[in-house]
Amino acid sequence: MGPPVGGPEPAAGAVTSRGAMAAAGPRLAAIVLGAACIAWTATPVRHTGLATTALVVSIIAVTAGALRLALSDVPQPEDDYFLAAHVRAWLAFLAVLRLLPWEEIAVAVLLWLEVQHPARPWHTAALGAGLLAYLLAVHNAESGAEHLIGRQAKLLIAGACLLALGAGFAMLPAAGPGAGSTLLRVLAAAAVVAAAALVLPA
Amino acid sequence: MPPVIPNGSEMLPTVSASAGEASGAAGIAVERSEATVRWRPSRHARRLLTLAAAGLLLATITRRPELAGVAAPALLLLGAARPPRPSRIGVRVRLTTTRLYEGELAAVDVAVDDASHDVRWLLQADRGIEPASATAVNGAVARFTFTVPRWGRRRVGSVALVLHDRWRLAEGRVSYTLPAVDCYPHPAVQRTRVVLSRLPNRLGEHSARVSGEGVEFTGVREYVPGDRQRAINWPATTRRGRLQVNTFAAERSQDVVLLVDATSDVGEPGSSALDLGLRGAAGAARAYLDGRDRVGVITYQWGGARWLAPSLGRRQVYKIIDTMLAADAGYARGATFRRLPRAALPPGALVVAFSPLLEQRFVEALRDMRERGFSLMVVDVLNTEPPTRLSFADSAARRIWRMEQQAIRFSLRELGVPVVHWDGDAPLDLPLAPYTRRPLVVRR
Repeated sequence: MGPPVGGPEPAAGAVTSRGAMAAAGPRLAAIVLGAACIAWTATPVRHTGLATTALVVSIIAVTAGALRLALSDVPQPEDDYFLAAHVRAWLAFLAVLRLLPWEEIAVAVLLWLEVQHPARPWHTAALGAGLLAYLLAVHNAESGAEHLIGRQAKLLIAGACLLALGAGFAMLPAAGPGAGSTLLRVLAAAAVVAAAALVLPA
Repeated sequence: MPPVIPNGSEMLPTVSASAGEASGAAGIAVERSEATVRWRPSRHARRLLTLAAAGLLLATITRRPELAGVAAPALLLLGAARPPRPSRIGVRVRLTTTRLYEGELAAVDVAVDDASHDVRWLLQADRGIEPASATAVNGAVARFTFTVPRWGRRRVGSVALVLHDRWRLAEGRVSYTLPAVDCYPHPAVQRTRVVLSRLPNRLGEHSARVSGEGVEFTGVREYVPGDRQRAINWPATTRRGRLQVNTFAAERSQDVVLLVDATSDVGEPGSSALDLGLRGAAGAARAYLDGRDRVGVITYQWGGARWLAPSLGRRQVYKIIDTMLAADAGYARGATFRRLPRAALPPGALVVAFSPLLEQRFVEALRDMRERGFSLMVVDVLNTEPPTRLSFADSAARRIWRMEQQAIRFSLRELGVPVVHWDGDAPLDLPLAPYTRRPLVVRR
């Protein structure tokens, strides 16, 4: 048969054990970071209704995000008629996993869980660093992009400085009594962050 | 070996269109077009935005400045990323062929004129298309290979181009719908040919029983005025004392009509009776056309028949296959099986039928053709039976069905119609071997 194609095959076809390890590493890192963020935020465990709900939701979201990453190589089969019940259930499960933004839910709920605790500025700053690392690890696992952290190193260092600055603002004694002074401190911290984002070059 | 299909680049029309126009136009291969890129924030950017927004919102609500600090790194990353985002980009998408045989490799070549972004190509194959390579490839140039496992007209699917900026905070998308491909049934292997004992008076490659100007020696006879001098057999002349000349067989061609029964499609998809019929007919068409015979086809189906008059040449193979694949439209042509024109079924033609012999009207039509004097041969492509069940009634029905099938084949053989069984795996030469060694005697 006259082959209508020729030339080399694309190099992306081969799957080696080294490649599999390279793909599994970022996924494992994302899972570990997600679990660490939950543990960091939840301790000490609070038993109020909102805190318990936030903890359960964050565990579900991080677990679902980890499952989505782990099952990202499973192809979505073609639509077909008369599928067995267990196949339909499996497809629905995959669809839910891939539809919802689990990482975004986890981030928002973990911050809400942190708010349930009394003010602890350095603890919160460490949580912020952990959440950012979690999001970067998820992105690395999804995209397989290399040297992404290296490209953003300067900005990440600047961000860490601002994070520390925010925590420092929180630890300063209030200028005066009343709610207005604490709000002013928050606005000042936000202004510093916004100014840095606008000033720094691309 | 099936014939070489010309490269698709010669057949596909070249147009210049934007991506938006091309994506909706199936059946067009796009070459060197300017595509409009739709940019949007990546999932990573949306997650960072969520972190920043949640941090700032909670900081304001709870009046805790450290939460504003949590938003800082995310805001920095989002604010500092201001990459160039071209709205138009040069893209080339090309399908190597729009015609291929079952199981044959075809390819989609894609390329983009952009070096400033990370590029990822995705092939979304449609139903009936089997990717033979990775379906997601990084790089400015890529090639996706695919096969079509079963004959028919198939939509290949679409190709998506995803552009990422340096920090992967924005992604641009371009999508192309690929043209449909015509997949031909894989021709069966047939090298030998059934030749009739009585051939029409037309120059060809088969040795006829009458004397002529061929190359096959048939005998010696006495010289008569007008014979060519170079035909004189000098040893025989010396022995007999009179001039003797060699005689040769004439070389003739025959008309072959392939009759495909499309009324029944039983068996596993991919090796059903219709699959085998089409593959066998395609192989036979190529074998007889290689022998300089005129070959035509008649596709028998519900409501009528579609036909192609016998003709010569390599192109006739493709015409025959196209006629078989377009059998659904046969009814509109208005021809019925009983009233086929002389051009479709020339007198003295060899008729080779591919059928599971399940349709009684088709069997009756074969008997009718035999009684009208056509030389017939049936290739039985039935390779399945009713399912086995334990009940007595089912097993009895199965036995009766088998006896009916045997009776149909016996009655055809009694009429002088050879019936050979073909399983689809072996070459067609094997079941036809008893009839290819010597000419098939024409009985009127």
